[in-house]
Amino acid sequence: MMSRFSLSRLSIGSRLFISAILCSLIILFGAGLVLSAIYRRASERAFDERLQVYVQSVAANLASKNVSNVFDPYGLGDPRFTLPLSGWYWQIRTEGLAKPEVTSSISLFGGRLPKLETLNVPAHDGTAREGYIIGPDERRLRLVERAIEFPDGSRFLVQIAGNADEIELTIQSFAKALWTSFGLLALALSVTTIFQVRFGLLPLSRLSNEIGAIRRGSSDHVSGRFPDDISPVADEINLLLDVNRDILARARTQVGNLAHALKTPLSVLINEVSDEDTPLANKVREQTGIMRDQVNWHLDRARAAARAGVIGVATDIAPAVAGLERTFLKIYTDKNLTIESDLAPDLKFRGEKQDLEEMLGNLVDNACKWARRQVIIKASAFTGSNAHPFIVFDVSDDGPGLPPEKRTEVIKRGERLDETVPGTGLGLSIVADLAKLYGGELTLDSAENGGLRALLRLPAV
Amino acid sequence: MRLLVVEDDKDLNRQLVKALSQAGYAVDSALDGEEGQFLGETEPYDAVILDLGLPKIDGVKVLESWREAGRVMPVLVLTARDAWSDKVKSFDAGADDYVTKPFHIEEILARLRALVRRASGHASSDLVCGPVRVDTRSGRVLVDGEAIRLTSHEYRLMSYLMHHVGRIISRTELVEHLYDQDFDRDSNTIEVFVGRLRKKLGIDVIKTIRGLGYVLEPPAPPSA
Repeated sequence: MMSRFSLSRLSIGSRLFISAILCSLIILFGAGLVLSAIYRRASERAFDERLQVYVQSVAANLASKNVSNVFDPYGLGDPRFTLPLSGWYWQIRTEGLAKPEVTSSISLFGGRLPKLETLNVPAHDGTAREGYIIGPDERRLRLVERAIEFPDGSRFLVQIAGNADEIELTIQSFAKALWTSFGLLALALSVTTIFQVRFGLLPLSRLSNEIGAIRRGSSDHVSGRFPDDISPVADEINLLLDVNRDILARARTQVGNLAHALKTPLSVLINEVSDEDTPLANKVREQTGIMRDQVNWHLDRARAAARAGVIGVATDIAPAVAGLERTFLKIYTDKNLTIESDLAPDLKFRGEKQDLEEMLGNLVDNACKWARRQVIIKASAFTGSNAHPFIVFDVSDDGPGLPPEKRTEVIKRGERLDETVPGTGLGLSIVADLAKLYGGELTLDSAENGGLRALLRLPAV
Repeated sequence: MRLLVVEDDKDLNRQLVKALSQAGYAVDSALDGEEGQFLGETEPYDAVILDLGLPKIDGVKVLESWREAGRVMPVLVLTARDAWSDKVKSFDAGADDYVTKPFHIEEILARLRALVRRASGHASSDLVCGPVRVDTRSGRVLVDGEAIRLTSHEYRLMSYLMHHVGRIISRTELVEHLYDQDFDRDSNTIEVFVGRLRKKLGIDVIKTIRGLGYVLEPPAPPSA
């Protein structure tokens, strides 16, 4: 399927290249035309001068009446004037007589050359004319004519014609050389343009690579030196990234501060009435319970909202998993659990460390809660159908497990969070929600030894 | 058992101190990180309840400084921040357990009992020494299955001895672990309490090691 061509989507490289090539072609073509015209004029003038030499020779001989040779009465010395229809002719016409007398070269073979004057060719110097005519042999001829008046009052019109093919031939060979060299020039210009565009746009493509690396999470800043004209862009991008991180950090801090601010007085209220059994105390207990759940639930939402649109973050999973292992071994000291982890090397989650710890923390906490002896954490890398890499965490325990119908219920709860009753569940709905925010997924399965097996798919770097 | 409560909210601090004292602990309290850090470094506590959001010095820093100074008492961390990343941070700083606000005091009491028990190497909440049995959950003391009534000071002494069966405990140690810092520390009162306790127990389990202190041991099996 052809994608619709759109000028606005044309790359800068193509724009520069196309405009440079179009301009050079127009300029080269124009220059070629001008040069051809100049050369044609020059060739005609040179040809005319040659013909003029013959005219002067004829005029000189006419004046001296030195007509000796039948074949070359005016001593032009060019055999072509004696070859019939050679394309080279002369003709002398007496003017001012009632019946003009015409003598002409043998080559004209009894034909006549027309008068340029009658063909409306303008004269210069008052007496000379040049122009093209069609000769007796249907050939194009260059004709030069001049009116001569001798002191005795006799007037002649001397005409010399030469084969115009000669002019055309020189012009043609010139044009051939001209267009060949201009073509080569255009080619050379294209090649240098390509080079210039590539070289000139190199910093831009480097910038775009850097931004790509940030998107993929393998880098957190645009680094390296850029030319003066685009380094402000790189600086702006870095600034934006910093601002983005700052906003996120601030949102988190504020959420945390709010939590702290609300939860401490809640603790006080709950404990103040803990020993009392009056209607007021019961009401306070009930309401503080609701408040606690509401606070927790909205804090989770606020945290999730603060996560939207984070780019350029990557988290090494190994230290995160190790930290959680240490934590859970301490929390579940009394259960004497073993936590095994089997992580593919160098895995990186494309997202915030806190979020990874939240998701894995809930999964492992759940596993530890139900496990009898052992919890196993595995992580491996995969490449998705759209070539995006992702990580699959596999957290399984040897506890009682969950029947299939309950599994879907636990996951579903994440899907319609608005209707979720806060404060209930296995913490798995939070995991499912968070995973979805990252374009991942949580699925539940049964482990080989009957326990619950949670599969968490997350984007990788 | 002597505890330290570091919590900046005055009401919550008061409630904790009250509830813990009622449960038979000697309790010191601090309202900010600086005071808390100082007390934890200088006084021998059997456990600490530490809030993380403290003025002056942050709770995590206080905890880290204690661990760096080689203080190994169990620490129960109290915080409003319930994200796993916060929990990992606290445990890595040296916390032993974690309770998120808002909480019920009962939860704190249960966690504390477990921490103290674990710290002295006991697996069960029932401490047993021969015919004597102390149920740390209910605070009851039984001799041959019969409950005996103890005052809170007597229970504290009994509970501390039961947590360290077979170890010689000096009078100074007892004073340090049984009374909070405001108590008039006269080691003679210890002798008075030990005497009363022996009388109430009715059997000879608390032995005096002259010049060293006391040791709790199961009575020798009756020789033929």
